[in-house]
Amino acid sequence: MKRLRAWGLLVSILIVQWLPWRVWAEGEGLDVPEALDKKIVLDGLSGISLFFAKNYNEHLWLYAIYCTVLMAAVGMAIAYVTDFILSALGLDVTKIEHKE
Amino acid sequence: MDWSMFDIYLPIAGIHFNVLILLAIGFSVGILGGFFGVGGAWVVTPALNIFGFHMAYAIGTDLAHIFGKSIVATKKHGKMGNVDVKMGLYSIIGSVIGVEIGARNVMWLTAKGMAGPVVRYSYIFMLFGLGIYMFYDYFTKDKRLAKQAAIAAEGPAAAAKKKWNLPPMIHFPVSQVTVSLWTILGVFFFTGWLSGFLGVGGGFIRMPALIYLIGCPTAIAVGTDLFSVVFTGAYGCFTYALKGRVEIVAAFIMLAGAAVGAQIGVAAVKYIHGYGIRLLFAIMIVLAGCSVVLKQLQLNKLAGYSVMGCALGMCLVIIVLMIQGFRKEKALKAAAASASQA
Repeated sequence: MKRLRAWGLLVSILIVQWLPWRVWAEGEGLDVPEALDKKIVLDGLSGISLFFAKNYNEHLWLYAIYCTVLMAAVGMAIAYVTDFILSALGLDVTKIEHKE
Repeated sequence: MDWSMFDIYLPIAGIHFNVLILLAIGFSVGILGGFFGVGGAWVVTPALNIFGFHMAYAIGTDLAHIFGKSIVATKKHGKMGNVDVKMGLYSIIGSVIGVEIGARNVMWLTAKGMAGPVVRYSYIFMLFGLGIYMFYDYFTKDKRLAKQAAIAAEGPAAAAKKKWNLPPMIHFPVSQVTVSLWTILGVFFFTGWLSGFLGVGGGFIRMPALIYLIGCPTAIAVGTDLFSVVFTGAYGCFTYALKGRVEIVAAFIMLAGAAVGAQIGVAAVKYIHGYGIRLLFAIMIVLAGCSVVLKQLQLNKLAGYSVMGCALGMCLVIIVLMIQGFRKEKALKAAAASASQA
């Protein structure tokens, strides 16, 4: 058993060491360097995409605030709606207990 | 069927992407996060990158989705009552600095054209390391439980002496611990940096650190971790958006899938028992690592099938086991009701 464990450990270490080396040797290598500031081409955009793209181009701060606030608001809204649906299906979603 | 009919143009990331893939990523990560209690965001960044997002966009969009999902989890778990607010405030300081430095590292690498490979190598190390640890944990559980039982039989052990007492020492009345400020800041800084650099929630490191390194009771560790993820995610979303690297439409779509998945995952906890599911989780982590390797080897199609196959396969197992447990409970209730009527 001890010998098996030692072999297991050795193989694990070799995998962890070997894989990245192998991947490094044959991999994609570098990505194309990217400009950190960019502008979105607005042609052909409409609706919500146009709204966010315009804000992105003109007021990046506002875009960042929209992203943060909207993610929180949408997260909260979805939590209430899915809770309601699962309760209607008869699943008890009020109590959480991990059993192992 | 023409799957390209589900393609949408994501202008911020500048790519066409299939909505069904976004929903599937969100849904599977939601189920895994809801069920296992750790976010599962470590699937999202590799998956987005494999399917065409540049690495910085993958991380930024993942962090935005983590933030939305942490709001859902906070509402769902209702564990905010267990938060050590004082520790939570320190966590904000450490995490925010960590996230910012991680994000700046990624942007520096992006400008050099190295963000993709470097982050992928980091993921390879992290996923294989974590997977191997979980395999070890699973296969040694009997021995560990026997050891714990033997220690319990011997009576309560003396409290371990904390070796790291570098001043200033801070007392946290809710958790009933006194620890060095540097330990607290170090833990939250490192997990914050991981979040900013890899686009993960960091709970898989923060939770054990809070319990074993800082000495928090488990319930308070869960609440404080959740508190920390909300702020880490919020700041990560904000700072990556400010750097122009959040594709908000994709984050919304993933969040919709994740929120539904999270509810199912949380509900499944009630119906699925046993340690065996952890083995599947370990296999999934290793397969996710393999998909990153395949991406790095430019085998993009295989990498895509691998990452989605393992995530959706795991979800299928959880859903099937949940339905079986639900039916069993229903049958038991019906039997009990008929017995009481008789």
